[in-house]
Amino acid sequence: MRLIRNKYLQYLLVGAVFLLPVIIHGVPTATVTLAASMVYTAIAGLGINVLLGYSGQISLGHAAFMGLSAYMSAYLTKQLELPFLLSMLVAVIAPLLIGLILGAIAVRLEGFYLAIATLGFGEILRQLFIEMDWFTGGFSGASATYPKIFGHALTKNGMYIFMVGLLVALMMLVYNLVHSSTGRAMIAMKSSRTAAMAMGVNVFQYKLISFAISSVFAGLAGVCYVHFFRHVDPTVWTAALSLNLIALVVIGGAATVGGAVVGAVVMHGLPELMKGMPIIGEIPGVPLLIVGILMAIMLIFYPRGLIHIPRDIVTFFQKRAARAQKGDV
Amino acid sequence: MDQVLSVDHLSISFGGLRAVDDLSFSINRHEIYGLIGPNGAGKTTVFNCITQFYKPDAGEIRFTDQMGKEHLLNGMPAHKIIGLGLVRTFQNTEIIRELPIIDNVLLGAHTEFKAGVLANMFAMPWARKQERELRKKAMDVLAYVGLDKIANEYAGAQPYGVLKLIELGRTLMCDPSLIILDEPAGGLNDSETERLTELIRGIAKERHCAILLVEHDMKLVMGLCDRICAISFGKKLAEGTAAEIQKNTLVQDAYLGKEDDA
Repeated sequence: MRLIRNKYLQYLLVGAVFLLPVIIHGVPTATVTLAASMVYTAIAGLGINVLLGYSGQISLGHAAFMGLSAYMSAYLTKQLELPFLLSMLVAVIAPLLIGLILGAIAVRLEGFYLAIATLGFGEILRQLFIEMDWFTGGFSGASATYPKIFGHALTKNGMYIFMVGLLVALMMLVYNLVHSSTGRAMIAMKSSRTAAMAMGVNVFQYKLISFAISSVFAGLAGVCYVHFFRHVDPTVWTAALSLNLIALVVIGGAATVGGAVVGAVVMHGLPELMKGMPIIGEIPGVPLLIVGILMAIMLIFYPRGLIHIPRDIVTFFQKRAARAQKGDV
Repeated sequence: MDQVLSVDHLSISFGGLRAVDDLSFSINRHEIYGLIGPNGAGKTTVFNCITQFYKPDAGEIRFTDQMGKEHLLNGMPAHKIIGLGLVRTFQNTEIIRELPIIDNVLLGAHTEFKAGVLANMFAMPWARKQERELRKKAMDVLAYVGLDKIANEYAGAQPYGVLKLIELGRTLMCDPSLIILDEPAGGLNDSETERLTELIRGIAKERHCAILLVEHDMKLVMGLCDRICAISFGKKLAEGTAAEIQKNTLVQDAYLGKEDDA
């Protein structure tokens, strides 16, 4: 029982479940592609959870950060022929720097105003993706290959396994972070800025930190995207994707490590599930409509996020058992 | 006797309203000092000026730390104040509801933590060790204020009296030389207030710490404070021992109204 409560082991289990599509024989490649979408979205969502769930800051520009890193990694590996891991490192520095600028803006702006400022930032970046076609390939986009790691060329499945490994590692890092003085200060800043300041939390510094972390995670997600799908174009990195990242964090469970993963699975999995249904799946538009309604229902009845469901079920039965013992039932 | 805090000709206005008007007072080491006045007299504003949540228009606020070094607080960022050994609570409690009680108390030691983001992310052994040590200290503090049995319960689910104690415990984590308490007994019942009085007295005595407090519970103020300063409309009316303040006609008028007002 104690082993199951070990968080690292739980995250490894999550990773193992994600690896099932490449382990089990005969799983269609479309399933691996769907799972890869879940994984790269979960990586970005993990960062958004640090920003939104733990630190109480908002950004509608993070989709553009994903795009920026995707383009950079495509360019660095293809045109400059940098090794993959090095290009990944360089590709996440760019969103890190922009993230720091946004963090500095966030010191002055809050709530709606911050949302609008970051939205503008993201849209400017997306326009640049369209205009700078020597770098991005303009509307038609840029292409990339499956990466080589230490001379070992990855296949599609190999790249997918790399992504799952990255997700598990990042979950562990976020778990460590939020259970440390840094995480405590972030939560304090979100919950009571006044108390945080009085206890010596430099709010400016912690806003920068949370923007930096989330930007790096978005960058990593973008790098994963471009080397898995081997193509990147400007239509993906819209504000709608940024909104989706926020939505999946809230649906999965804000301020929990696994929330973004649950959210990403639901967000990508539910539409596919609906499309596979008889009759409703065959009428165009209806599956997405149902997904929208389901998500609204989830938020109304389960605003804390789906990740809390197992725990709540356990407590429900524990309480019932306790009452039964007292003889109330 | 040497001073821990001196407030010199402090003034601050909000729009046309002079909330604090040329107020001066000083607090000696190990002293329990009370600030009283009718509602809206500017007591909390004085606290906010001292801790730099408000930037005063005029006047100097000086704090002498444990080493005897004097610091001018004016213009310092609010988050730097606690590092000097000056810490405060809030009138309506400012608690991190999402965190367990012990983590709320640990927040009081925030400036002690040496680990940065990366050291925390990778859970460096030395960072975990410091976390464990400070967690132990927080447990001791919780035992001191009588909350050790519920240390791991969430703060958000606690009654008001407990929240007040969490805030008090949180101030002890930085080994302060001056604690500012904004209505510590506000919203507490009689027995809770009595226990709190003993706690505050104990903190001042055992931890060699001065205390500045605002409180409406006159029994608590008169019984606890070595010296009291009465203010009204941001101005100082009188300063002295409990007996002196009680006899002062200006103070009586401020609280009860002058006869010709009636």
